[in-house]
Amino acid sequence: MTNPNPQSAIRNPQAQEYWNPKNETLPRADLERLQLLKLRRLCERAAAVPFYARLWGAAGFQPEQLRTLDDLRRIPFMTREAWMEALVAQPLFGDLLATDPQHAIRYHLTSGTSGRTPIRVLDSPQDWQWISEMWCYGLWGFGIRPADTVYFAFGYGSFIGFWGAHYACEKMGALVIPGGAQTTEARVRQIVELGVTTVCSTPTYALNLWQKAREIGLDLARDSRVDKLILSGEPAGSIPAVKRQLEEAWGAKAGDTAGMTEVGTIMIFECSHQPGGTHIIEDHYIEEVINPHSGEPVGYGELGERVVTSFGRGFIPVVRYRTQDMVLKVPAATCTCGRTWDIYDGGIRGRWDDMKLIRGTNVYPRAVESIVREYAAIDEFQIHLWRKETLTDEITVRVEVKPDQAGEWAALAPRLRRDLADAHEGLRFNVDRVDHGTLPRFELKAKRLIDDRPVAQYKETAR
Amino acid sequence: MTAPAPATDLLGNPLTADEAALLAAYESLKALAAQPDLPPCAARNVRFALVALWQVTNDLDLQFEQLYDLGV
Repeated sequence: MTNPNPQSAIRNPQAQEYWNPKNETLPRADLERLQLLKLRRLCERAAAVPFYARLWGAAGFQPEQLRTLDDLRRIPFMTREAWMEALVAQPLFGDLLATDPQHAIRYHLTSGTSGRTPIRVLDSPQDWQWISEMWCYGLWGFGIRPADTVYFAFGYGSFIGFWGAHYACEKMGALVIPGGAQTTEARVRQIVELGVTTVCSTPTYALNLWQKAREIGLDLARDSRVDKLILSGEPAGSIPAVKRQLEEAWGAKAGDTAGMTEVGTIMIFECSHQPGGTHIIEDHYIEEVINPHSGEPVGYGELGERVVTSFGRGFIPVVRYRTQDMVLKVPAATCTCGRTWDIYDGGIRGRWDDMKLIRGTNVYPRAVESIVREYAAIDEFQIHLWRKETLTDEITVRVEVKPDQAGEWAALAPRLRRDLADAHEGLRFNVDRVDHGTLPRFELKAKRLIDDRPVAQYKETAR
Repeated sequence: MTAPAPATDLLGNPLTADEAALLAAYESLKALAAQPDLPPCAARNVRFALVALWQVTNDLDLQFEQLYDLGV
């Protein structure tokens, strides 16, 4: 256990392990008292927002009913569908705004590209202060300090992405290099030439950067000063095989984070002790895990759906929002860092609405990725669902083998086919090799699943 | 007129000297932000200073409030 307040650390803030020692080590009983107090005040404010007045009125919920933290369950869930219906009924923001839009300084929207209505959000200066603060908790917790040079391999568009992390690094005193609107090769060269120590990107794009570096004759583990990767935007940041591959390729530690446009920032982060999961920022959120079918809470160690209540962004309050994220909560003591904040073991494990049914077997893209990434010879892959002779659903994993390891294909293919089947109740997978460089590369959220069946089951996760 | 600062945090713990000073600075900036006759350079920069102190005092459980009425 680390002492949160050694005298030397107080004299030298950079030596502090925690961004906010007071709350990151708060005893659980006090943490829950704080959450209840904040929840009551949040609900008192939100009750005046037409969206919540309607939702809560129909369910007979009133903030005065919140006497213990268990009373949280009296509050009806907020769903993405209800949010989208409100946006459609009353463009652009629905009836969710808790204050005059004139107070806003920024507009962002979800990253979906499938044609679903994106969720649009407004934020004030106060909200942006808080959005960057949540990133400070995570970035400081993973070891970023004022001496770091942080590179953002990110497009800086309307998707909220790493905007908050950018401001967090400025707040922390690190040197920020915004790497927007450049080719991957230009980014790689900047990372090396500018002595970057930390790179923020999606897991997929961190792999792409490394592949591009290799193509132009650079070894990032040898030629760059990068010792930390901050990953976000995809579940892969906590897949052990992906993390291992990235850490070896870059010669750096890789830390997972996860956030969502609906709350504006991250809710969870991996600390420098790398416990195999992500701490929940519990002084600013209540994170519940429920059975996705019954809506009832599940205990530690049980897989369930993440439900978030945010005490931060006030412009659009978020109370008991069902995220569809698949998580498994374990106690804080699972980690040796001394934080009292619980952990999502394995980070965000996928999404309940990502599940595909193939000949009666459930298939989750993240589970496939976790197996494929165990094969170091594979550079890129794609999951293709199709229907054979209008009768049988088929699943094919298309893979690109690294050019210098092409000779491994003959032995790799049957092993990969067997590993995939073993992990999926014996389901038969087709495994095809495609030419190197033919599969798409991604900068933001990777879309590696193509569903070509006549009635597509695939639902885009527009986040 | 600024309300008297509480002697405890949200959990009822006595404030440290640093916490009391931070809270006082926050209340002072709130009072400044409420002034209607500040020039634009002061009005906007005071608000940006205020949100920084709002965040600190929020993190340290010294207050839990919103400042939208002050235009932040």
